[in-house]
Amino acid sequence: MKPLKSFSNSANITLAASLALAAAIMLIPANMLPIIYTQNAGRIRTDTIFSGIVGLCRQGWWSLGVIVFIASIFIPIFKLASLAWLIFAARQGPGAHARRLTRLYVVLSVIGRWSMLDVFLVAFLSGVVQFGVFAKVEPRSGIIAFAAVVVLTVLANEAFDPRILWGSPASNTPQPSSK
Amino acid sequence: MSPKIHYESTDDEWGAQVNHLVCRKCGHEHRSPLLCRGETARCMRCDSVLAKKGWFGRDATFAFAVTGLLLVLPSFLLPFITVRKLGSIQVSFLFTGVRTLWADGMHGLAVWVLLCGGLAPMLLLMTLVGLFVSDWRGWKSVHAQRLAQAVRVVAYWSIPEVQVLAVLIALAKMGHVVQVVLGPGFWCYAALAMMTMLAWRGFDLDCLP
Repeated sequence: MKPLKSFSNSANITLAASLALAAAIMLIPANMLPIIYTQNAGRIRTDTIFSGIVGLCRQGWWSLGVIVFIASIFIPIFKLASLAWLIFAARQGPGAHARRLTRLYVVLSVIGRWSMLDVFLVAFLSGVVQFGVFAKVEPRSGIIAFAAVVVLTVLANEAFDPRILWGSPASNTPQPSSK
Repeated sequence: MSPKIHYESTDDEWGAQVNHLVCRKCGHEHRSPLLCRGETARCMRCDSVLAKKGWFGRDATFAFAVTGLLLVLPSFLLPFITVRKLGSIQVSFLFTGVRTLWADGMHGLAVWVLLCGGLAPMLLLMTLVGLFVSDWRGWKSVHAQRLAQAVRVVAYWSIPEVQVLAVLIALAKMGHVVQVVLGPGFWCYAALAMMTMLAWRGFDLDCLP
């Protein structure tokens, strides 16, 4: 197992790790602060991500609740756990799991952007449901923290160079160039 | 007429010109294969996709990009959704939500939603069309190559399809409380999302000559 010092690009592990850590920290206010305020026919509710999902399920919208759960709770946690595993494996140097980990990296790249679903949802509802006292939707500060989590996890994923899992220092690999 | 991305070619043992294809995920080098329609080239080492010959071909990718670009203004400007409650009617546009976020003091988030949902797809399509045209006209430019690499970053944050799904979810829930009519802006935006996905997929993966 080659030690990390033999790779010329140890910097991008540190960058990816710090971004992932920042995302993990932001996950706390994202889930504890409310993200949306709804007022409908006199009933007022202020929801966090989780209570919003519970509310959807209680009202019978199971499918919507599941979709929002996957996009807003499952994917960010899955991304952070996977990033932690990738970073830990990269520190060890190339190993037997490189292929599996590369596939995981590709999966993370694809699903990362879908967490923005909740942000778009809040933005859309806030814009469209504005009927004064009868019905109103407003965004709350938690959604900013949540957007930060999404952005940071994506940046952490982009900062991580999967070639390190294979032991090839990124700077020495010939790059496609134009003629 | 079709644009080509050139790779550094070397001679193999038979003296023939061989093109290199380098896997972006693990750094493994390959000889460029000849792909038939619908075939995918995968990395020998890590099994990730290197290139794919789409069913539609390179000219179709250009057509998708142009169509997408033409759909940009209609989706931004036409009525997106009309909501009716207790006699009062409210017409919303694509960026009404952005405006509300801004008005509520969430300036950064408003700009971010605007970027991900509107500006990034527009920028991506403009760049793709520009790259296709410059290659077709044969305008040799250093900037074109750098642009082709930079556009990947824009493409990552161009996520109109996520916004379409968010709108559909919101509508499914709202339909009980208010009366909702989807406007032409919505359909143009949904078509824009599809065109952006097809154009980017074709440009990114269909890179073998």
